Amino acid sequence: MFDLLAQTVLNACYSASYISLVAVGLVLIFGVMGIVNFAHGELFMVGAYVVVALYSNYDIPYVLVAAIGLVFVGCIGLLMERTMFRPLRDNPLGGLVASIGFLMILQALASITFGVRMAFVPPVTQDVIEFTDKIRLPLQRLYVILAAVGFLTALWLFLTRTRFGWALRASAQDPEAAALQGISITQTAKIAMFIGAALAGVAGVLTAPLISVNPHMGHSVIIAAFIVVIVGGVGSLEGAVVASIAYAFVHTFVTTFFDGVIADITGLLLMLLVLIVKPTGLFGTADRA
Amino acid sequence: MNLKSMITGLSRRGFLGSVASFAGVSTLGASLPGRALAADDNVIKIGFLAPLTGAVAAWGKPGLDGCQIWAEWVNKAGGINIDGTAHTVEFVSYDNEYDPAKARTGATKLIREDGVKFIMMLGGDTWPGVMPVAEQTGMLFSTLLPSDLSPDTTTLIAPAEVHPVYNVTGVEWLAENKPELKTAVMCAQDDALGLPSVATYLAAFEAAGIEMLDEPLLFDPATTDFAPVVTRLMSGNPDIICLDTCYSDYVHPICEQLFQQGYKGQIISCTADFYDQMIEKTSKEFMEGFIFQFPDFDDPAMEAEGINFKHANAFYAEYAKRFPGQWGAVSWEYAAVMDLWKAAAETAGSTEPDAVLTAMLDDGKGMHAFGEADWWGKDLFGIDHALVGNWPVVVIEDGKAHVKALKSIPAWYDKHGELLKKYMSDYGQMWNQRT
Repeated sequence: MFDLLAQTVLNACYSASYISLVAVGLVLIFGVMGIVNFAHGELFMVGAYVVVALYSNYDIPYVLVAAIGLVFVGCIGLLMERTMFRPLRDNPLGGLVASIGFLMILQALASITFGVRMAFVPPVTQDVIEFTDKIRLPLQRLYVILAAVGFLTALWLFLTRTRFGWALRASAQDPEAAALQGISITQTAKIAMFIGAALAGVAGVLTAPLISVNPHMGHSVIIAAFIVVIVGGVGSLEGAVVASIAYAFVHTFVTTFFDGVIADITGLLLMLLVLIVKPTGLFGTADRA
Repeated sequence: MNLKSMITGLSRRGFLGSVASFAGVSTLGASLPGRALAADDNVIKIGFLAPLTGAVAAWGKPGLDGCQIWAEWVNKAGGINIDGTAHTVEFVSYDNEYDPAKARTGATKLIREDGVKFIMMLGGDTWPGVMPVAEQTGMLFSTLLPSDLSPDTTTLIAPAEVHPVYNVTGVEWLAENKPELKTAVMCAQDDALGLPSVATYLAAFEAAGIEMLDEPLLFDPATTDFAPVVTRLMSGNPDIICLDTCYSDYVHPICEQLFQQGYKGQIISCTADFYDQMIEKTSKEFMEGFIFQFPDFDDPAMEAEGINFKHANAFYAEYAKRFPGQWGAVSWEYAAVMDLWKAAAETAGSTEPDAVLTAMLDDGKGMHAFGEADWWGKDLFGIDHALVGNWPVVVIEDGKAHVKALKSIPAWYDKHGELLKKYMSDYGQMWNQRT
């Protein structure tokens, strides 16, 4: 039983890692821009297809591909900000609908470019850390865990220790006051969109060798991310991280000890419970709900 | 760290207006004809109504590709002879995206606008959307999933694939050839494809004397990380892990997880599409002995006496040349359905749906791709519209799929039919239990 529990904990750590990357990006975009970006799962998908295009097809080193994927998807975020969200800044519903349209465009582009079938991504490494015969952590999954910790720490430092980070937080808390202080709302929106998209993209890059890469892979990730954002508290980065860990552990343990369908129901019940007990989410406050 | 939202108020009217516009644009896009109409009397149009995009496209698009090769070959050889007149055949496709509403729109469009004489479908979740159209028009449809059949589906046939009943042949072969394997566990996606297959495998394992160590582990079709599923499967140290009828998007990551978590036992699965990629993600040794049900058509066994699929090896070579690396379970199936339809239409001297159906079902036998077979299914589906005979058992050896045996489904059913019906009933999969 100890082996089973330990392996399940390792599985949950991996799951929490990539979900938190996606969810934190989603929260950042919502918090700063007030946009529910339905295309966020597709940014995750684009990150995975960067791996298909460069690593699978051209054998470019994986680490370099990860860097390219991060920047590329971040730039797609900038494109979304410029072409959709900035013109619709005062119309959140318009931004939401535009993001749904962009979601379809990205899916169609992926289908046309790479085909509708699952794309093949060769393993980055087949090495496995064997704690015991029954407790094993594949190195690929460890990379995802370490990268998530690294990126989220870097984001924390950026937001708390840099001028850009302060500007971002200030304009999110009170955009008018921030503007009076000379902070450009457009500039902060661009930064938020780049970072949020890049985090989703890098999550796609990191997990591409471990999951099925297809044009519709963003769907399941965005559902988990939305649950996490609601549980954590809309607009709260700490909440997104804590809720990602909670959701991943609950989902993984229930899948292992019951089944995956019950795990999905449990995840939704968790969200419902939080909404009943604390409607603003674990870390949310009334003015952000 | 607090990030305050800047959401402004939304009016209900604005929300509804935007959603309605979005829905309208989507519907308009879906209903646009896929190709121009032709008016040649000597062209027989066949409808291909399957998912060509979306998550289930892997069981539609490769079939259309196979049909295009089939049509070229048939047309080059003189076409279809109807009452002494040669007709060329042309496929008109409609992407139903595995959506029942789009399937209904597609069926209507194919019949009313394109004038097709026969419509091939993947079936499954899309059939309920199409069934009213079939009832109103009398159009002949085919499905790859006989679980769509019921006494009411009088113009629906399942002439290629008897999913999931053929899975019994793999388990039967496994029990005969590896009698030392005595315990099994199974996982499956919780959907219309997974559940009848679960019932079938449970019956097959019980008939073979193989003990199930645990209840089948069901997972949501939206699952992406299969590590918890695999951890649970391996926790009881089973001799056999059965992957049911999982989509290839699941079979691959599950196998990769089994490899990474150190599984060394037997794997059996309905499909193993792109198994070469699975080998690359795991190892040749890990995949050795993997049992599944869909042969590569370059296998010499596919040219053996009794196999009715014409020029199987050449078909595979042509397919591989045009669509490298894309061969899958359904690449040949729709073409095999067309072989049956062509033979029936030529016999009937007509392309009218009722005449072709009558000719097809005449004498209760048909030339299935894998040998002569019976129109069967009253017990399980309430109607004898499934063509059932032999089915291959395929094993991966030294990195390549080989047909190890052609085993008889009716022979198994004669011995263990009650068991199958019991499990189908337990899982609510008998025709009179389905909604």
